Amino acid sequence: VVMATNNPSVFLLMVNGQIEGANFPGYDNLYCKYCFVYGHDWAPTTGLEEGITQITSKSTQSSHKLIWNFPLEATFKSANPSGWPQLVVSVYGPDVFGNDVVRGYGATHVPFTPGRHTRTIPMFVPEPTWRLQKFTGWLMGRRPEYTDPKVVAHGEGREATRVRSQGFVTVSFHITTKDMKKMGYDVGSPSSANAPSATSNWSTEEQS
Amino acid sequence: MAELHIIGQIVGASGFPQNSLFCKWGIHTGGAWRLLSGLKEGQTQVDIPQTGDMAYWSHPIDLHYTTKGLQGWPKLHLQVWHQDSLGHSQLFGYGFCHVPSSPGQHHISCVTWRPLGSWQEQLTQMFVGGGPQLRNPDLIYSGADRYRLHTAAMGTVELELGVIMKHFDKHGVET
Repeated sequence: VVMATNNPSVFLLMVNGQIEGANFPGYDNLYCKYCFVYGHDWAPTTGLEEGITQITSKSTQSSHKLIWNFPLEATFKSANPSGWPQLVVSVYGPDVFGNDVVRGYGATHVPFTPGRHTRTIPMFVPEPTWRLQKFTGWLMGRRPEYTDPKVVAHGEGREATRVRSQGFVTVSFHITTKDMKKMGYDVGSPSSANAPSATSNWSTEEQS
Repeated sequence: MAELHIIGQIVGASGFPQNSLFCKWGIHTGGAWRLLSGLKEGQTQVDIPQTGDMAYWSHPIDLHYTTKGLQGWPKLHLQVWHQDSLGHSQLFGYGFCHVPSSPGQHHISCVTWRPLGSWQEQLTQMFVGGGPQLRNPDLIYSGADRYRLHTAAMGTVELELGVIMKHFDKHGVET
């Protein structure tokens, strides 16, 4: 159990939320992998940094709703907002041959104001550069993929790449922070009127 | 010394004649500012949207500045380019906006414009493409010699700019 201190050296970011679902006009029977990407000042303390959802299909009533309702729970600590965590998501589904292919990559920063937030993340796939690649890819059931989806969280080296945006993933977040104010950081006003205020007697439990 | 974190994304752009677009961007600050970490310029992917008018880049921005003064507050400047299927690029618009000076998460729609040439150049442009570009890109975010230009409105770039501030209040700055 870590008691509140008057001169904290780190602040905490607690993320609760869910990957609600997706909107992909062209595709069905999709699952989503997620992971958090953060800078070297940051470390996860509790919760899960990555996971995979179930496979979901479009409902018979509403033809484009894909629902995962997948929980996100993670806490991070840092001494510095640089490298603020991002949620990276990648969505996969079957092609006509039944192979798993990527249907989109996307990323969004975890919000930093306490309160409730919704993010609609645009999803894109890398485009093959040659028409021949496109055709043989279709024939063989192969699409260009990133070897490590985490590259989606970085801005360097994107100049030469062509991508196709083709869907959205909706995520909702409930954000709580501890000791950001004590360390001198002003993040603006909380997003919802009912945002909880951290009291100086609040203690945080750290497991492992 | 006060510190400023800019954490967000260049989300995408819409309202341009074609939607196969990329963006070159940069952040300009005055002499009192020092960049501690992060990349202050870059170039997004080319997005060719499957449906709809909006091109999405989701280009992350994470910058950490210290500053000794308020002058030269950071400004983001943008160039939106169109790339065709053959890989040829054409300038579609310039725009700039200040990084917000209040902490919190801000959604900003940045308007853009392109320089117009003479009527002969505009006629040629209809057939051959291309078009005038600024010789000095400083003009994107400076007002000094703007009166020399004749420009036309172009589309809008959507930005999510989150601002975290530290010690500005200690120096009496009200945000």
